[in-house]
Amino acid sequence: MAFSGALTLTDLNDFITPSQACIKPVEQTNPAQAKEAGAASTEIHIDATGSYYEVSADGLTSAQNSRNGAGTSSSANGRKLEQAQINLNDCLACSGCITSAESVLITLQSHVEVLNFLSENAKVDPSCLSYKLPVISIAPQSLASLAASLSAANPSHTPVTPRQVLRRVREFCITALGFSHVFDTTFARHLALREHVREFAERRARHGKEGPGAEPQLPMLASACPGWICYAEKAHAEMLPFIARTKSPQQVMGTLVKNWMGEKWGKLPSEIYHVAVMPCYDKKLEASRQDFYNEMYSTRDVDCVITTGELELMMKENGWDLARPVVGELEHRNISSPEPSTLLPELLRHEGSSSGSYLQAVIDHVRRTSQDPLTLTVQAMRNTDHEEHILRRSSTNGTAGEIVFKGAKCYGFRNLQNVVRKVGRESGVRVGGGAAGRLTGRGRRVVGVRRNRKGAEGGDGQPDEVDKERERGYDYVEVMACPGGCVNGGGQIRPAVKDAEGYQRDWSASGVAGDDGNVGSVVGGAPEVVQAKWGDKEWTRKVEEAYWRAATAPVLVPGSSDPDQIASLASSDACPKDASAGVACTLTDADRLARRVVEELCGPRSSSSPSTATRWVESSGNTNVSTENGLESSRAEEATSCDGAKGDRICGENDGLGVEGETEECRRKMFRTQYRAVESEVIGLAVKW
Amino acid sequence: MQDANSTGTIEAVAELAGHDDRVWHIAWNPTRPLIASCSADKHVRLYSYSKDDQNNLSFNHNSTVSTGHTKTVRALAWAPSGQTLATGSFDANIGIWEQEKGDEDEDVLENMAEWECVSLLEGHETECKSVAYSSTGTLLASCSRDKTVWIWEVQPDADFECLSVMMEHSQDVKCVAWHPTEEVNALSSRPSLSIHHFPPEQILASASYDDTVKLYVDDPSDDWFCFSTLKGHTSTVWSVAWAPGGQYIASASDDQTIRIWKRVEQHRWESVLVLTGHDRSVYSISWGPGKPQAPEGALGWIASVGGDGKIIIWELTDPSEDAQMAPPNYKILAQRSSAHGVYDINAAVWCPRPGYEDLLATAGDDCATRIWRVSP
Repeated sequence: MAFSGALTLTDLNDFITPSQACIKPVEQTNPAQAKEAGAASTEIHIDATGSYYEVSADGLTSAQNSRNGAGTSSSANGRKLEQAQINLNDCLACSGCITSAESVLITLQSHVEVLNFLSENAKVDPSCLSYKLPVISIAPQSLASLAASLSAANPSHTPVTPRQVLRRVREFCITALGFSHVFDTTFARHLALREHVREFAERRARHGKEGPGAEPQLPMLASACPGWICYAEKAHAEMLPFIARTKSPQQVMGTLVKNWMGEKWGKLPSEIYHVAVMPCYDKKLEASRQDFYNEMYSTRDVDCVITTGELELMMKENGWDLARPVVGELEHRNISSPEPSTLLPELLRHEGSSSGSYLQAVIDHVRRTSQDPLTLTVQAMRNTDHEEHILRRSSTNGTAGEIVFKGAKCYGFRNLQNVVRKVGRESGVRVGGGAAGRLTGRGRRVVGVRRNRKGAEGGDGQPDEVDKERERGYDYVEVMACPGGCVNGGGQIRPAVKDAEGYQRDWSASGVAGDDGNVGSVVGGAPEVVQAKWGDKEWTRKVEEAYWRAATAPVLVPGSSDPDQIASLASSDACPKDASAGVACTLTDADRLARRVVEELCGPRSSSSPSTATRWVESSGNTNVSTENGLESSRAEEATSCDGAKGDRICGENDGLGVEGETEECRRKMFRTQYRAVESEVIGLAVKW
Repeated sequence: MQDANSTGTIEAVAELAGHDDRVWHIAWNPTRPLIASCSADKHVRLYSYSKDDQNNLSFNHNSTVSTGHTKTVRALAWAPSGQTLATGSFDANIGIWEQEKGDEDEDVLENMAEWECVSLLEGHETECKSVAYSSTGTLLASCSRDKTVWIWEVQPDADFECLSVMMEHSQDVKCVAWHPTEEVNALSSRPSLSIHHFPPEQILASASYDDTVKLYVDDPSDDWFCFSTLKGHTSTVWSVAWAPGGQYIASASDDQTIRIWKRVEQHRWESVLVLTGHDRSVYSISWGPGKPQAPEGALGWIASVGGDGKIIIWELTDPSEDAQMAPPNYKILAQRSSAHGVYDINAAVWCPRPGYEDLLATAGDDCATRIWRVSP
């Protein structure tokens, strides 16, 4: 069986490697029959269709066959055997085999599975109970990857925007595949960011509090990257308390589609088949987590995850040309009054990073809620995948003000290692286990002694300000496992690369993987080496560019203080004519809809006490907008609050931290999740070497 | 047992006993008369040595470090300063050890102060197989059965930052070794005919169960990356060693051979010589400058040991012709069978200290470390 999509192609150098054989034990569903003495044994036969049959050695159908009534049709005699299958439910998440070239077969989460489902489902009458409404949601990074790929193929044309790609993919999914609805996941991300910010505020309020069971709450670490979650659960359980509980956009989308929109459509969660297109293989694992399985309806929030590469493959197999424009692809949908049963706000733009803008959302929150004006400084650390973002109080005497917030973007496995070490050291949690912990304990003491001595030698006894600032721990870290972040995810489309002789080589077509495909490693002249290295980075940069590409306006740097600019950046592509009005329409609408979603999902069902819900909604939502028809007033407030908010609309203000009860509990259930450490130590054979 | 056909001799100097299980590796302190050994008994033992009036060397047990590693301590490496010792263990961790600095006078410090674990580097998923400090002492490399090679930057206060995790090998990585950068500079004052000179560069070599040796350099604008894969061995490559001049690499393999790879371009290395002489796996090689101080054109001595219990000393000299691919000349200077009785020899290491270049240490499955003096 072929492996799905472009999984064979991994020239990234930053994956978590598989470490041990899959040890899923064999489960025997029917007990072995006691064999009578002298009874004939059976043989396995394979027929023309490749099916396996168990046939008794003397050619007669085995007793098992007649009893089970199995072995129909072509199995003249003999019991048809089921093919053994390993699906993601069986996966022990032993070590991210999904992200590496060699891998286990995944049959439940592949584009083949999607096609199989769709063809089966198409045979079912839509009025029938077993019919499922097929829905597909696409990540913005996947759209960027497709857009970059299209633009690279036709360099002379105007670059294709993610919006055009979305429209074309929508056309493909509806007409060629038969999906009923095609969404992008940015509105779900909007919900996720709001919840994320809310959680940060909760943690910040609790952080440093004394009391029984008080645990360090900060730094909060981003939770959207499943590769990181998988790694932390397996190798660094001590990091789990710091990882945000907020669901990733993919899983929020799952909740949104199956619970909220499902209700609008009059469908139960089990009556919807939800596919997500993601830039990442580990998203498949994420969708398969127990937490995201709805026991009541026996269904997953996201039924199947395919990668960008798999989506491209499906289009290729269907002979669909994504380079062909579709009608109305450049038009901007008027969503001033969105009808959410079919439409969600489209391609919401969250400034910050192409990996979800989590850090930016938190920074904006801190600025917005600060009493004093804050200045942001961004510092690239050793490599481009590690940046520190520091908010300081503006000071009057020209010196650097006091640090209010220290956050970081940290992408790639090596940087992730350093985050783990840094967080472990600063928060005092024990890194590692067993005797390793003992070692560290000893180590700390010695290091501590040395530090003290150094201080004493300093003479004046005043701790150095610079040192103090450097040693201040992070409040928030946007952690992503891939170097370059999600635009460089393992499931993205790879560029066609020129090989050492200058020929175009389409790696994904020839299925070249790893070692020898790496141009640089074949013959090691320096120029080729550099070229090969840069090829990858260059491509990531192109995808990044495509990610931010809008039809009408250039990308603006967040933090610019001109309200008009902010306005246009917030929805540059939504409302080209009247930018500032357009903004208000898009993101305010998104916020309004977000509150409505939360309210409807978590509000008291009886509606006997609407006040509770309203109160919560107001406290959690954008303070700029208090009512449904408050558009005018909100816009006025927008203008005044822009200096502080810097155009941000991700809201999670927490004047209502104390809100308890049913609504709160429900909201947690809908938008948060939890993590479990995986016992990975396999006591196997002693290895001499 | 000395080999009659060779001109040189391998004379036993000392047997350092004390470990309760097989000894995996040894490391000579580069600045002090001290040698460390590590063992499956999870301990590190330190021995000091000194010369008496008759110029005889004597070795004395100095201290034993109970490492706290939960499994075998597989590898050892001294930082060039001689102040810091790194241990790599099958428990997947790397320990960094320093002597606690007190107000006592220097002698007491050097001999008596207890070794403390000042840092623990975690990250490998499975057994750590080898650790190595770069010639400047600013970088530490490690490798593991998890197929990865890691590079750590040494920072003040026993802190380390992970610079790179390279997943190039398809199997268990057995050994890492740094190019002796500084020696490249030192040797450039002594031009030799056939050796082309290349700008000094920190290069890391790794040897693996996938039968290859891989070489890595730092891309200053990016990450470390593998720029070359040396293929030729037909089985596991156990060990890799750089020539003191840095223009050659020697690799030892389960295919019972040693290969010499020559640098023919800045980033190109070619197999120019295959040394045969062992009857079993060659587990470890060490390439020292030789003694007395090598004459013009000498490339130093390679010591190789392995599953056949033999120590072989190879003397290499510059190629007689100037062709790019010309192999160096070689001869077996000395060899000794059953050096650790019937047991496998796991490691051989030349003493790096000036004046002691003829001292070789070997570690064996017989729980002992043995010190040898090689004379041409």
